[in-house]
Amino acid sequence: MDRSGTIIHVSSTFAAGLLFLAIFLSGLSIVLLVRKWHREPDRGAAPDWSIPTIDAYADTPSFFHNWDPAVKIGSLFPYCFLVVSLKSLFWCAVALIVSLLALFFSNIPWQRGLRRLTAMSGFLLMFLLIVPFTSPAKPGETLILLPMLDSLPFHLNGFYLALTIVIKAFAIALMMEPMLGTSSLPITLQGLVRLGVPSAIIQMILLTHRYIFVFQQEIIRMYRSMRVRGFTARTDFTTMKTMGNFFGMLFISSFDRTQKVYEAMLCRGYQGSFPTFSLPQTRREDLAKGGLWIMIGILLLVFDRTLPVLAP
Amino acid sequence: MHQINSNYRDDSGQKVQELLFKLDGLSFTYPDGKTALREISLAIRRGDRIALVGKNGSGKSTLVRHLNGILPLQSGSLHYQGKALTPGILAAMRLNIGILFQDPDNHLFCNSLYEDVAFGPMNKGLNRDQVDQLVKSCLDDVGLLHLMYKPAHQLSYGQKKRAALAAILAMQPEVLILDEPTANLDPKQEQIFKKLLSAFQGTLIIIDHDLLFLYDICDRAVVLAEGRIHHDYSFQELVSQQHALREHGLDFTFRFSCCGKDHHHLSASSHHHHHPTHDHGTNDSHATAADKTTPILELQHFSYQYPDKTAGIIDVNLIVRPGEAIALVGENGAGKSTLAACLLGLHRGEGFFFSRGRQLDQGLRRSLWKQIGMVFQNSADQLFCPSCWEEVAFGPQQMGLSTNEVELRVAEALHNVRLTGYEKRVPLNMSGGERKRLAIAAALSMQPEVLILDEPTASLDPQSQELLLDILNHLAMTRILITHDMFFIRELSRRTLVMHQSRIICDYPTSSFLADTHLQGINGLDYTYKNHCLEQIMDLQDQNRG
Amino acid sequence: MHISDGVLPTTISLATYALTLAGTALSLKFVRPEELPKIAVVTSAFFVASLIHLPLGPTSVHLLLPGIVGALLGPAAFLSIFIGLFLQSLLFQFGGLTALGANALMMGVPALVCGLLFQLIRGSSLLSNTIAGALAGGLGTFFSASLLAGFLFTSGENFLGVAKLALAAHIPVIIIETAISAFTISFIYRVKPELLMWKQR
Repeated sequence: MDRSGTIIHVSSTFAAGLLFLAIFLSGLSIVLLVRKWHREPDRGAAPDWSIPTIDAYADTPSFFHNWDPAVKIGSLFPYCFLVVSLKSLFWCAVALIVSLLALFFSNIPWQRGLRRLTAMSGFLLMFLLIVPFTSPAKPGETLILLPMLDSLPFHLNGFYLALTIVIKAFAIALMMEPMLGTSSLPITLQGLVRLGVPSAIIQMILLTHRYIFVFQQEIIRMYRSMRVRGFTARTDFTTMKTMGNFFGMLFISSFDRTQKVYEAMLCRGYQGSFPTFSLPQTRREDLAKGGLWIMIGILLLVFDRTLPVLAP
Repeated sequence: MHQINSNYRDDSGQKVQELLFKLDGLSFTYPDGKTALREISLAIRRGDRIALVGKNGSGKSTLVRHLNGILPLQSGSLHYQGKALTPGILAAMRLNIGILFQDPDNHLFCNSLYEDVAFGPMNKGLNRDQVDQLVKSCLDDVGLLHLMYKPAHQLSYGQKKRAALAAILAMQPEVLILDEPTANLDPKQEQIFKKLLSAFQGTLIIIDHDLLFLYDICDRAVVLAEGRIHHDYSFQELVSQQHALREHGLDFTFRFSCCGKDHHHLSASSHHHHHPTHDHGTNDSHATAADKTTPILELQHFSYQYPDKTAGIIDVNLIVRPGEAIALVGENGAGKSTLAACLLGLHRGEGFFFSRGRQLDQGLRRSLWKQIGMVFQNSADQLFCPSCWEEVAFGPQQMGLSTNEVELRVAEALHNVRLTGYEKRVPLNMSGGERKRLAIAAALSMQPEVLILDEPTASLDPQSQELLLDILNHLAMTRILITHDMFFIRELSRRTLVMHQSRIICDYPTSSFLADTHLQGINGLDYTYKNHCLEQIMDLQDQNRG
Repeated sequence: MHISDGVLPTTISLATYALTLAGTALSLKFVRPEELPKIAVVTSAFFVASLIHLPLGPTSVHLLLPGIVGALLGPAAFLSIFIGLFLQSLLFQFGGLTALGANALMMGVPALVCGLLFQLIRGSSLLSNTIAGALAGGLGTFFSASLLAGFLFTSGENFLGVAKLALAAHIPVIIIETAISAFTISFIYRVKPELLMWKQR
């Protein structure tokens, strides 16, 4: 194997410092978590099964709110694919900044963006921790040898790769709120119909979305009545059996409900499709905004390929 | 079988209206072999206001599901305005017949109230302006105009129920069918329903066990028993014949209660604590404790706020002593269920909480479930085992009792709720009344010191209610009963707590509560109207006997 | 575990999207139109069930449930999973929008396979149904994990380590899922057996 690239030996003191820093940071986060846990009044009552409202901020005007949802999704969705295709670290970072700006100009609280990032953090952390150590060696790459881990060199290339993945994932996740949270859900989905998605699917998504909240209430009530009869979830046989019953009960009651909902729909004149009124016409500025966004995406890709900076 | 007096209107020689529905020899059997309807023959005319009554499981809901063609015709015939129900007619007919089923969540299948109410009118093919006008006027009628763009999951139960009614009314149906419209509603919301239904001009068919609610709305009664029509006569005749009511499990006169004239209002601000934890600056806010026995539970200045900052309960002072029978009343959303959840240790609030004289700590809070049993409102949410035996044994098994002890306790609990012999039955397939009793047994088998029951009588027929009353009366343990039902309050409690806007505003003997006429002004708990109806009905029954 | 945005190369993202759309269209063909609203409502229940976390030692895991979805919905399972995953990505960012195709294949294909398997071996006794349920549940999760590892592996040799780890991390989930599926199916068999026959529903 050709190992003509740079090999950096990390001194023990530096490694010890890093280790100390890591321990300090994880200790700090544990302390913060515990404090949050204590402040929360209801930690023991019921597990957190809260479901966010996607269109909670759909009525504050902004660049994205005033955009025809069909064109908005029709341009931002391909844009996401363009971002996925980026390869170099620098241009991925630029894409992340574009997303941050988009989130800022969409008048949506940054906490909602942050919530999306934390949801993926576990999966992405796995990449950051594993990929640098398990990447195959390439000619001319930089290796960092940590003390006591001589057999497991840290590949700088692998680290860059993992970092681009994390940044791309963040960039796309942050685009979700401007793309899908700036119109009410039914309007957004009606936009998808105009983009050619079968309306049968869209109706199903709307129905599913509505009944998620009904079943969420149902499992909270069911779980509560299990708790008052002494149930606590553990890793044991009784828990498996009780949770198996719990799921069985949930699915049976959902099948019962499907029949009743369908009957209620029939009673109000349902004949196979949801009635809708047409949306306002697409304006020229909607298309201009769409064009702008596709342009940004293409430019990013072109720069990425012609001027790669920090490409793994 | 009794003589059917089907043309009672013709006798009086007036108001003979066009025939809307004509049913002849209608029978129906479900795929699992259960026969729900046998040889039903019925004529419904335009403008009829029918109370469809009968025991749980007598076929009322099945009959109603035929009237708009949800269930297919198996045998017999059904004509709507003289026509058989071909698919073409069915579609047009459904737009003229509005049905309100029990669970409002099933009616609200869109993602905002506006869309839900607009769904029917849009299916009728109205244009955008007409739909908009209809939606707004209907939501205004049920008092929900300000919540027009809210999704249904952000509404309270009573609001959902009203929204579902608005969605049906927006179709401007000529026939309105309601399946237990007032189950689980407080008297105030019930009044809104009553007003809207009284104002409704078309044909009305209501399934309900609450004859007092139906009294002013309906003029014709159809009584079903085991899938057959047993009576079809005027509503007045139904309520005046006590033996017929009794036979069909509808005799609600066991629940006679009447308001007195005296009233005695306790000041909510004066309270006493059993355990001295703090001093008040003023002299009078700590009344002297009359009873020195150690309370089972004591709350002092206890408050709980939901994570979304809405108040659950505020500054609650409560002492529960051994052997007490307490009723907890208040409008929907007053905080009754929240208080129960706090007592169960499900919510951790702020303030002092003593259990048997010990202040609650984390460990004690976790074991509260052994001390306090709870029967929730909806049986469907608390039965999760494939057989009755496992259901009742679940609690004792979680307590770590020996197999023998579990066997004994299950047998005893099932015996107490008259379900001996049901051990192998599947809870999900039992009737509403049986499931409620099973839920009670599941709590009893843990032999709690306190039993909390949340609306145990909701949507049970009067016969099941009477049985439940008997069972509850024989329980020795301390009871807290959450209910709107005046009769159950009177029979099952000696002390009443009235909650209003998250606070306990009255804590006095039940006799004082029954005599309290001021409550209506405070939280709309108008129980006097029903007493008025009841008195009229008793008079009718007396005349009938005489 | 769902794949997030940015991991898969664009070619694989697009190819899996195409396959998923084809699968969904096919699933849509198999289902009678009046069944669609019903499948939507059941999908909500599966969605909510997948939010429930079960303790596993010091951490907790949530279930993937492809086996049970397949057993209960049959050919419609793919459609249901596609809708569920779309909403998960929309609401929670569990799985990214550009990786939706890959995630749907990862869950949907095992659901179809296990659903079929379940119908073939479930027999007519409580015991055989329970065993069939356990197999469907366990294998469903195993196939899902294998597909996940496969997608990661084909995305580049850099991801070999991650693929191995992801596979290993699923072993406890497979065990829990096997046990829970067995109990769930036996519960449904005892209480409402007609739900397990999707042909007659």
